[in-house]
Amino acid sequence: MTNAKLLIIDDEVEFASTLCQRLQLRGFEVTDVHSGGEGLAILSTIEPEIVILDLKMPDMSGLDVLEGIKNHNQSIEVIMLTGHGSSASGIEAMEKGAFDYLMKPIDLKELLEKINSADENRSKA
Amino acid sequence: MDAKTENSIRQEQLESFGRLMAGFSHDMKNHLGIIRESNGLMDDIIAMGGCGEDETSVERLRKSISAIERRVGIAANMFHHLSGFAHRPDTPYSSFQLNDLLTEECVFLERFSRLRQIDVTLEHEKGLAAIYNDPALLQHVVYRLYLLSLDQLKSGHSLIIITGQNEKNAEIIFRLVGASQVSLEQLPANHLLPAINKLEGILKIGEVTEDHTDLTLTIPSLPLAE
Repeated sequence: MTNAKLLIIDDEVEFASTLCQRLQLRGFEVTDVHSGGEGLAILSTIEPEIVILDLKMPDMSGLDVLEGIKNHNQSIEVIMLTGHGSSASGIEAMEKGAFDYLMKPIDLKELLEKINSADENRSKA
Repeated sequence: MDAKTENSIRQEQLESFGRLMAGFSHDMKNHLGIIRESNGLMDDIIAMGGCGEDETSVERLRKSISAIERRVGIAANMFHHLSGFAHRPDTPYSSFQLNDLLTEECVFLERFSRLRQIDVTLEHEKGLAAIYNDPALLQHVVYRLYLLSLDQLKSGHSLIIITGQNEKNAEIIFRLVGASQVSLEQLPANHLLPAINKLEGILKIGEVTEDHTDLTLTIPSLPLAE
């Protein structure tokens, strides 16, 4: 299992904080913030290796946050979370640089697999 | 009001309804996400011995956690299909996979057959080519034909929905197992004909045996819009 440093950006506070606790229980160093703006502002403080990012937030779209993250540090891998009915939005995010995407409500096992793959991808780069 | 304006208002109404349902479904998935993670956190705490040594309580809690997880899974699947269903009217004409369209719709149709104790199965022919037509209108026609088929069947009978391809046309067969000798005249399907005509489709009685009657809907792939 990877010990990558994670950042969760999701405006659903209860979701983000519960997921944060579950990942911490599995040994990850995780921070959660609840808006796109907060997420971008905290990047230089915590320098995450992997970001788990909601696609739809009130202050700014996940795609704009993704662009901001990649401008800050190209090597940060981003896993998008989408509540859309189709995979189209997730695929669009991958075209814009996201490592992968998951449909909400997520399956933790699947998320852990994607975190591992994202970390392996980072190590190769 | 002329027919064209009325039609345009109806179309807008349908789109608004679809968008509302899509938004609702999106929010519901967020709620389910919170329920699933909170439930998962309880499971994590139990796994770490947070409930002490009382095995009976641990067992009961695990049972509840597992029931919640199972129901969240079912609800998430339903809302996933509802999102897709709600977005269908966004583009009146588009390319779509018939099997995906029917799977999405059958999630909502299942309860009608369950209440009548009629077993419904979907038999997909694999590798069907995508067709270009009006997916929301086709779902409406399928819904009505599904209900008409159920009306011909009795408790214990079954309905098999079979997809296939006939040259460039998509084919949906409603196989009414237990009902033989059903004629088109018996089916109050006349009101569906304008919709079927708009799809440029054909509805006919197919194979008839002592055991079953097939109701066959053929839908062409229309030329792509300029």
